[in-house]
Amino acid sequence: MKKWYNVVAILMATFIVLGVFAIGCAEPAPPQPTGPITINIGTPVPLSGPAANWGKVPTPFYEAFIEVFNKEGFQVDGQTYNLKLIQVDDKNTPEGGAAAAKQLIFGDGCKFLVGHWSWNFPSVSAVTNPAKVILIARNGNEAVPASWGGLYDPETMPYVVFGHPSQEEYLGDALAIVKAIPDYKVLGILDSTQGKGAGWDNVDNTLDADGVKYHHEWYTPGTADWAPYITRFAEAGCGVVFTAGDISSTMIFAKQRWEMGYKDMRVGHSGPILDPAMYVAVCGRDAAQGLIGSYYAPWDFKEIEVNPKYIDMCQEAMSMVSEEQGKPYVYTGGIGWLPTQALILAQALEKAGTVDDPDAIMEAIRGGTFDTPIGKYTMSGAKTYGSPIVFGNPNAISQIQGDKEVYISESPWQPIP
Amino acid sequence: MPPAEIWVDGLVQSCIYMTMAFGMVLVFSILGILNWTHGQFYMLGAFVVYYAITAAGIPFPISLLISGVVVGGLGALVEKFIIERLTAPGYGMLYVTAATLALIFFFEGAAGMVFGLQDKGLAMVLPGVLNLSSFSISYQKIAVVIFTLVIMIAMYIVLNFTKVGLAIRAAAQEPDAASLYGISVGRVSVIVMGIGCALAAMAGSIMAPVYIVNPFIGRIPMIFSLLAIIIGGLGSLTGAIVGGIILGLLNSVIAYYVSYLSEFVLFLLVIVILLVRPQGLFGASIK
Repeated sequence: MKKWYNVVAILMATFIVLGVFAIGCAEPAPPQPTGPITINIGTPVPLSGPAANWGKVPTPFYEAFIEVFNKEGFQVDGQTYNLKLIQVDDKNTPEGGAAAAKQLIFGDGCKFLVGHWSWNFPSVSAVTNPAKVILIARNGNEAVPASWGGLYDPETMPYVVFGHPSQEEYLGDALAIVKAIPDYKVLGILDSTQGKGAGWDNVDNTLDADGVKYHHEWYTPGTADWAPYITRFAEAGCGVVFTAGDISSTMIFAKQRWEMGYKDMRVGHSGPILDPAMYVAVCGRDAAQGLIGSYYAPWDFKEIEVNPKYIDMCQEAMSMVSEEQGKPYVYTGGIGWLPTQALILAQALEKAGTVDDPDAIMEAIRGGTFDTPIGKYTMSGAKTYGSPIVFGNPNAISQIQGDKEVYISESPWQPIP
Repeated sequence: MPPAEIWVDGLVQSCIYMTMAFGMVLVFSILGILNWTHGQFYMLGAFVVYYAITAAGIPFPISLLISGVVVGGLGALVEKFIIERLTAPGYGMLYVTAATLALIFFFEGAAGMVFGLQDKGLAMVLPGVLNLSSFSISYQKIAVVIFTLVIMIAMYIVLNFTKVGLAIRAAAQEPDAASLYGISVGRVSVIVMGIGCALAAMAGSIMAPVYIVNPFIGRIPMIFSLLAIIIGGLGSLTGAIVGGIILGLLNSVIAYYVSYLSEFVLFLLVIVILLVRPQGLFGASIK
């Protein structure tokens, strides 16, 4: 009996020793994440050259907004996530766009490209689609379906989302102008030949269908002498001229029309007003009055209801930038871009329950309803896979009054069915 | 017939192109090079006048002169330290062309870093318009026309009635003979480059209140002044003036009729001129 006791004791001692040894040799369990996981989102954006202002002006606001957003972050499958914004200069060229997209995806490890602005969507999507990286961009002349004469092909570009409907926004802004200025007589439309194409033909057709009287003129990029165009618009009886070109062109146009004596001719541009002080400095105070631009301050919207939480977030971010720059930061245009698109992405990830499966995320995006700082809209393309996946827009417009920008009208756009 | 405002607008355009073209031709006639950076000196001139007025509160006419002196000095430095070295034996025109093309991006990039990329304006300088019976013209545009006349008269006096002018003309016509008479062609080159760049700068300065100021405003005036030179005849100062007038008026009138096709028509016209009269309207015939 005593012999058995000895055997059991030896075995137990052996097990204990082996167990302790095994525990000592075992690799430590990987630490469970205790804080939020950061997802890199990238934006190819113009940061140099003539279009650099479009990238540089909103950047501090974007960074501040992401900081505010990250206080709560978003939840996917019980895990909290934060976003980190990485921007790379795309020089506003197709080659620059492709190079920036490659850098962001393969160099910086961005899982998503969000807030893309430039006119180089085809080259950027040529990089993002094969890499199965979701690109939330804007549409535009080149980014409409091939059936409209554009380059967007849903079959070969399944990971492209149009989070900013630039094409529809232009039309919506034009309708908002007509709404705000019913005695416009004829709406002058001035656009760079860069934007000439099937997309804009579609805009013209829609204006025709809506019974809007308009006169369309095209100019070559770099034009600084607007007298011939102003004269032609005046001869066509235009009470308002709405430009789709760059801000510099619009400012000089507004100044020259004033100097030529056409003081009743209102002038506006698609895209937001950068800073009223700049317009006053370039045009002169009188000539700048009444100049119209797109408007993205959700606290002023009259027809679109915006979640107060997002209004607070935007205002907090703008205050942060004002404090950092030591002067009021007044540019609200950025609200319609990266913050809106980042929220679309975050909500899509939450709905999909994954941050890694692009197909599941796209499934959540198509036909999904998203709550953003410019309103709550439903993405088109829920039932009709293959149609452009386009988000809505308030199409609000503002004008310069004194030294400030004030709301005048909006014409909310319904997403394409 | 286009309305009067189109002709007035064309005249203002002409003033810029002729001032720019005059400076380019002057440089070409002495140095034998096309200064591709000419447009960027136009841009720098606009910045100098902008800051002279807004930061230092210097009156506009004095700011114009300061702009000419500062940018003219910079042009002289470019000639002395870059162009002169690249025209030395062992190098060739290709080196100078590459260097002046590179300077386009250097000056634009530097201006962007130093002055920022946001558009700046001087609308507060000479505000207001003169109301005529059927149209208006701004005082800023009237100033452009008067200023150009003054510049052209001043250049005529300098080139015809001063020792410097005599040296420039001598060096342009017979550089070897001029050297034998004790004229330093190297020094004349520096002076001419300075004058050429000063003209570009003052053109940019006088247009700053009319248009906008940013690092990229020099590109289009440069191209158009080159067209003016081709129309007038490369190497001819009279040709630069006439070419500038023709180009400015044509640009406005054609744009009035065909809007965005105006540049296509203009460039087509230049090609026709080159085919029919390769030396331009006032250039020496090519043998």
